[in-house]
Amino acid sequence: MAKVVETRRSRLLLAALVVSHLVVISHQVDAGGGASLLERVLFEIFSPVQTAVARVVAGVSSAWSGYVALHGVREQNSAMQSRLQAMELELDQTRQRASESERLRELLALKQAIPLPTVAAEVVAREGLPWFRSVTLDKGTRDGVALDAPVISASGVVGRVIAVGPRAARVQLLLDRDAGVGVLLERSRATGVASGQVGLEDAGHSELLMKYVSVLADVAPGDRVLTSGLDRIYPKGLVVGRVRSVGASSGLFKEVLVTPTARFEELEGVLVVTATGEPLTLTESVR
Amino acid sequence: MKWLATGLALGLAFVIQSALTLVLPGPGRLLDPFLVVVVYCGLTGGETHGMLAGAAAGWIQDTQFGGAVIGLAALTKLLVGFAVGMAATRFLVSATSARLLVLFAATLVDALVFERLALVFEIAASEMSLRVLFVRAVANAVLGVLALQAFELRTRHEAHS
Repeated sequence: MAKVVETRRSRLLLAALVVSHLVVISHQVDAGGGASLLERVLFEIFSPVQTAVARVVAGVSSAWSGYVALHGVREQNSAMQSRLQAMELELDQTRQRASESERLRELLALKQAIPLPTVAAEVVAREGLPWFRSVTLDKGTRDGVALDAPVISASGVVGRVIAVGPRAARVQLLLDRDAGVGVLLERSRATGVASGQVGLEDAGHSELLMKYVSVLADVAPGDRVLTSGLDRIYPKGLVVGRVRSVGASSGLFKEVLVTPTARFEELEGVLVVTATGEPLTLTESVR
Repeated sequence: MKWLATGLALGLAFVIQSALTLVLPGPGRLLDPFLVVVVYCGLTGGETHGMLAGAAAGWIQDTQFGGAVIGLAALTKLLVGFAVGMAATRFLVSATSARLLVLFAATLVDALVFERLALVFEIAASEMSLRVLFVRAVANAVLGVLALQAFELRTRHEAHS
């Protein structure tokens, strides 16, 4: 008897949970996404852990390259070799610092080139679900980051903020199938919408698909693709990528493959545009 | 005690997933430590424990690693946890080979349900090819079983001492 009651209770609980989840998802789909109170709370709880994990991973990587990987070699070599290794280590650190400095210099140059208020942020986690492409940043509402804020890197447009907490934000990358950005071709001014089309196997050589390009539009491989500003999210004039190939026309439109300039797999530091509530327009393309 | 252990296991899965996405951005997407925890909860705690652990795991994945619409992973893992729990009460699934099979099947069901739900709600999500899905299922099954064995060995060892 107790078993029957327990089974009935679990079935009822399952039904209640399934219905409540369907309602929650439907509500978001109808409302066009956005961060709910629950999402903000969960994000706030877990994002500090991700920041801590990122720091631990960086520390362990540093310890590995600085000690563990060299441990066996140190045991075998003479004092001279140890000295050589120490110098090599120093050289590596110098190179790393130079690389970091170069990255920061690029970000600073970008920050100065964009006439909009921005905040620099570090990537602390990447997507864990294979169906989406997103990263988590270490900056949130306390730093002026808002929902839908455009995120850019020194090499190009990265994506937009889709969830934000006080100290962290999750960014949907342009590579995500659900992402979209209004774009135009720098040379012919033909407009369209670029969106991600990657599958799990495409990591590393991902491309964007530029849709709604008129069959009459003048498009050629190598053309620079910029944000058009028509989506009211991304400022006009930011570099998205270059045309890789032009597909066959189907009806009124042709499909164009775009190679993004942003290096999504190597993202470390990015800029988040913090201006809100006003039209964002750049007078000339950035980089 | 059971719920505390589940919470700790989900916390560990979260740390592992976060670290994996940084260390191995590509292959890291193949593994799903949350699914291993949900399957274990379903196997050992039954359908209610499995589905609640699944819902909790899915919400963490949705809010920390998901897309613009949250709740898909939560609903998927809730159903997977319930199904595994139900299977555990009807079949003998304590053997390693049976667990391997359950983890393999759970990964397939997880992906298929997720993609079907995304389609129903018209949410654009990357599709997994059969080859990638198979690799993901094998990776989750093998590493999951190893993790479960290690965990149970440790638990038994602590009980003896």
